[in-house]
Amino acid sequence: MTNLLWLQGGACSGNTMSFLNAEEPSVCDLVTDFGINVLWHPSLGMELGDNLQKMLRTLVSGKLSLDVFVFEGTVIRAPDGTGEWNRFAGRPMKDWVQELAQVANYTVAIGDCASWGGIPATAPNPTESVGLQFLKRDHGGFLGKNYRSKADLPVINVPGCPAHPDWITQIIVAIATGRGAELSLDDLQRPKTFFSSFTQTGCTRNMHFAYKVSATEFGQRKGCLFYDLGCRGPMTHSPCNRILWNRQSSKTRAGMPCLGCTEPEFPFFDLAPGTVFKTQTLMGIPNALPAGIDRKGYIKLMATAKATAPRWAEDDIFVV
Amino acid sequence: MSEGDDPALRKTITDLLASGLETKVEPFPKTEKEFIEIAAELRTLDPKDIKGKLVLSGFMDHPYGPESWRCMECIYYLAHRKWCDLPELAVPVEPDWYCRLWRM
Repeated sequence: MTNLLWLQGGACSGNTMSFLNAEEPSVCDLVTDFGINVLWHPSLGMELGDNLQKMLRTLVSGKLSLDVFVFEGTVIRAPDGTGEWNRFAGRPMKDWVQELAQVANYTVAIGDCASWGGIPATAPNPTESVGLQFLKRDHGGFLGKNYRSKADLPVINVPGCPAHPDWITQIIVAIATGRGAELSLDDLQRPKTFFSSFTQTGCTRNMHFAYKVSATEFGQRKGCLFYDLGCRGPMTHSPCNRILWNRQSSKTRAGMPCLGCTEPEFPFFDLAPGTVFKTQTLMGIPNALPAGIDRKGYIKLMATAKATAPRWAEDDIFVV
Repeated sequence: MSEGDDPALRKTITDLLASGLETKVEPFPKTEKEFIEIAAELRTLDPKDIKGKLVLSGFMDHPYGPESWRCMECIYYLAHRKWCDLPELAVPVEPDWYCRLWRM
């Protein structure tokens, strides 16, 4: 059996909803087929009050092994670093997080907020929110940059707003089946198996990206969403177009720009008016270019692509 | 390349620009903030007010600026239809024309 504890800090429960919607495997499959013992979860836990406190203390003491400590949401430190704004089981949640992380074999941050602060940590950050081991792109976070779980791994970040059900369950299954040490993480401690490719990888609009034909309104099936509607698919690391949502679609496939929610800077530009759903440009050229392309190369690429675009690229090819 | 969409309107615009129609080619919208303001102003016009659209968006019948930008490289330009696909404009254009809503 693999003991798993899931706690929730400054969160909207979006990652819990995502987790509960997992299908292959489902949450029930995790228990019945993979031997995961869900000690407690905000939506599934049976213990309340004194019994919950007792269980948490037993984990902290080491009498009960904590194999996987999953945290969803930010660590709230307000007011004035006390954490009193987020009390749980008789004390500030941050104190539980501090002690449980020290005894956990693996510590997993699920979602943006737990990974790097997400929306709650957006300026002016009134809750003094922080991710487990990052605050935005700054390494450190609540547990400090030198934190390692008992399995000698840093916090495993599974970002997303929310994280895809499969990203969550597959990481949990890897740990439960003894393959946790094989997890390869990128420099932001995200599993490379999910976060090496881009959201654009597998996007059905890639042909329109290549021929520089822009979508100009939401929901259009023709055109790329990067050029005008603020899509961050070409510079966001996620498998959203490889591991589809609900097994059938993705934001960009449905005509909705990628918001870059697996990157530490999300929400970008602190949600300033005019920055959402609009590609930010300076003198007509996008500020954020596809990963690995410089301004000069972009201009050359775009001019050539435009000049050679075939007729069909200007039409909606997904005819019902 | 085809002759492009809406040849009648194309001729009207060509004639207007050739006649020396003065348009607001400057200032160029440096960032999204200025771009959005111009687009919002365009939306207040009657969609059939072609002259108003040309003036407000700073149309010219030749390339413009230090790098000679033109419709041909703009993201809103559909090369085969010779058409500006920016919803606020939606007019026939020529590849060597330019307007200040140019974006790459």
